[in-house]
Amino acid sequence: MPTDTRRIGGPEESFSPLAYTLTDSIKTLMVSSNGIRNDGRKCEDLRKMFIKTGVISQARGSAYIEQGETKIICSVYGPREVVRKEEFSMKGQLTCEFKYATFSCSYRRQHQQDSEEKDFSVQLLEALEPAVCLHKFPKAQVNIFVEVLQNDGSALAASITCASMALADAGIEVYDLVIGCSMKIHEDKVLTDPTINEEYDSQNSKQLNHGSLTIGFMPSLNQISAITSKGEIQIDFLKRAMTDCVEACQKIYPAMQQSLHSSIKDKLNASER
Amino acid sequence: MTIFNFRTARPVEYYRKYLEQDVRPDGRDLGEFRRTVLNIGCVTTADGSALVKLGNTTVMCGIKAELCKPKTETPKCGFIVPNVELSPLCSPYFRSGPPGEQAQVMSQFMLEVVNHSKCVDLESLCITQGKLVWVLYCDLLCLDYDGNVTDACVLALLAALKNVCLPTISINEETENPETDLTKRVPLPISSQPVSSTYAIFDDNILFVDPTAEEENLATGIITIVTTDDKLCLVHKPGGSPLRPEQLTNCFDRSFDRSKEISRLIDETIHSIDR
Amino acid sequence: MREMTCELGQLTRCDGDACLIQGETCVATAVYGPTEVRMNKEILDKATVEVVYKSKVGLPGCAEKMFERIIRNTCETTILTTAHPRSGINIIIQEMQNSGSYLACCINSACLALLDAGVSLKFLVAAVTCLINKEGDIILDPNSKQEKDGKALLTFVFNNKDFNIVTVNTKGSYSSRQFKDCTSLCKTSSKQVFEFYKNLWKSC
Repeated sequence: MPTDTRRIGGPEESFSPLAYTLTDSIKTLMVSSNGIRNDGRKCEDLRKMFIKTGVISQARGSAYIEQGETKIICSVYGPREVVRKEEFSMKGQLTCEFKYATFSCSYRRQHQQDSEEKDFSVQLLEALEPAVCLHKFPKAQVNIFVEVLQNDGSALAASITCASMALADAGIEVYDLVIGCSMKIHEDKVLTDPTINEEYDSQNSKQLNHGSLTIGFMPSLNQISAITSKGEIQIDFLKRAMTDCVEACQKIYPAMQQSLHSSIKDKLNASER
Repeated sequence: MTIFNFRTARPVEYYRKYLEQDVRPDGRDLGEFRRTVLNIGCVTTADGSALVKLGNTTVMCGIKAELCKPKTETPKCGFIVPNVELSPLCSPYFRSGPPGEQAQVMSQFMLEVVNHSKCVDLESLCITQGKLVWVLYCDLLCLDYDGNVTDACVLALLAALKNVCLPTISINEETENPETDLTKRVPLPISSQPVSSTYAIFDDNILFVDPTAEEENLATGIITIVTTDDKLCLVHKPGGSPLRPEQLTNCFDRSFDRSKEISRLIDETIHSIDR
Repeated sequence: MREMTCELGQLTRCDGDACLIQGETCVATAVYGPTEVRMNKEILDKATVEVVYKSKVGLPGCAEKMFERIIRNTCETTILTTAHPRSGINIIIQEMQNSGSYLACCINSACLALLDAGVSLKFLVAAVTCLINKEGDIILDPNSKQEKDGKALLTFVFNNKDFNIVTVNTKGSYSSRQFKDCTSLCKTSSKQVFEFYKNLWKSC
């Protein structure tokens, strides 16, 4: 590994203590027979959610989201000058940068963006781009930065929601909000808003269905802006998961509206004073 | 000209008008810090974590402990690796990519604070001499850059270190491999409390504490003083307006007061979590 | 203090240079400027001062960056930057031998090189290092062996206008009483350094 001279270096090699844990943890069932998950939720239940906008003073717009133990912060800058001499475009440009904090997962992450993070950056961009009025800021760009502070599953879905809230907070013109939601398909169950354990448990299972689905949903247009799935899923289950996703998104929508509503109220109060 | 235009067009005059009255535009005295909020143990995936808010400035510190071989020169000593990340998320002035000069200097500063204050005895990170020690990766993530990130970083690091609970490691005698017991966790002993306070020099002779980003830009010099309990640990004044020794001594007095305030804040926060 | 010797004008391509030897410690500095500066670094109302520090071995890391920044900010304070708007002054410092009081030697040699280059300065600066050893005694201008056993290392930079403190950089722990003692001791010794500057220019 090439040494990074721009950071404080530690020892050449180090290992996570988790690599040496005694493997006596018994594989528990993801869903018990009466349809209750490990954290006490039913299959279609979302986790508790907290959304707040305007958390970063220096940014044009920002948002913080907590979905269970998943914590994500996002900031939006711009529209501002295009720094790198990229192709000239009369349409505005949107960029996304998705990053896990080094301490956000059970294993330590590196400082540089890895392939998963780059992949998520692109997916995030694709989910948001259809909702943004790009023609409103020609020759300029809007930058979105997403940082996962703690990852407990559904990180991409939560960051779609968070980024769309930050865009709204920044006053960037959009056609609609985008709500992210993800599903885990496990055997014959479709689990809404999976935790990290549910996301990874059945990687080597022999079951017919083991996969996950994430969508970006625009609620007032009733359109899906992005959809991504991985793993082996039967078509019927995929369809079912998608309808469940849309339903879950519609449950999240009022929470987002409420949060935006109160943030606008606060802003108005502040400017009056 | 409205007050807002005046602030943008003639920032120095704007500040002078306030400082003549010994007050700052945000209503603070010259010796007053912004409201400091501390949250300890907020990230459960980290082995120790803390979030510090100093006014708008926000810094999060997460510590990940890993196992490694010690250096042959120091077979009993573990490692502490602090790194400051000034990501493009926290301010429009930072760009993505490898750390810039400021982030590098701040990382080095944090390393010097850890080394000179001796807040963690590196020998307490030893598991088996010459074979296995802990390395604590302390990553300081700036979430909102509104000046005086140094003080926020030092506080976040100290609070996160106080929050560290290391799993117990035993060595299997047959395989000589380490075995981790995650259920038995031991807190890390902290031997001293480094507390930092930063001052900005305005117009070559007015000193005020805890500058905001705007104040940092207008300042003609910056001084950072780190104290550990009743001793000075780091006095860092890289150039800037020359100062009389008495002015520095006044800063020391304020720093020692701040050190007491901070240790009270940490104690209160830890106490409120225990309850 | 250890004996200081300095040679000026050893290098031919730069605008000013100095090779300062302080005891066993030796540093060579070259100054270029005022010259052109990259567009994105240009400052409208003053000169851009840049310092490049080259150590003998190894890639530059964070420690070197901090070192560069201390020297750059110090030089920026001394240089009359407003006299050269939209231009650059580059200072390159090459480590020759580090045997204690290293930062002080670097700053002194940079000041001499700036003088040699004829860059207009607000005032001169002199850096002095002192060490507090385990017994609590203060040693002026320590060598590397003394530094290793010391408890705290303090470097002060004074100007020759009113002998106020331009830069302080300290390592290790000490009381504010000790800090005061070190300040006054270094302040007195800084006059010796200024005297050395004066004699050097007389002999040129």
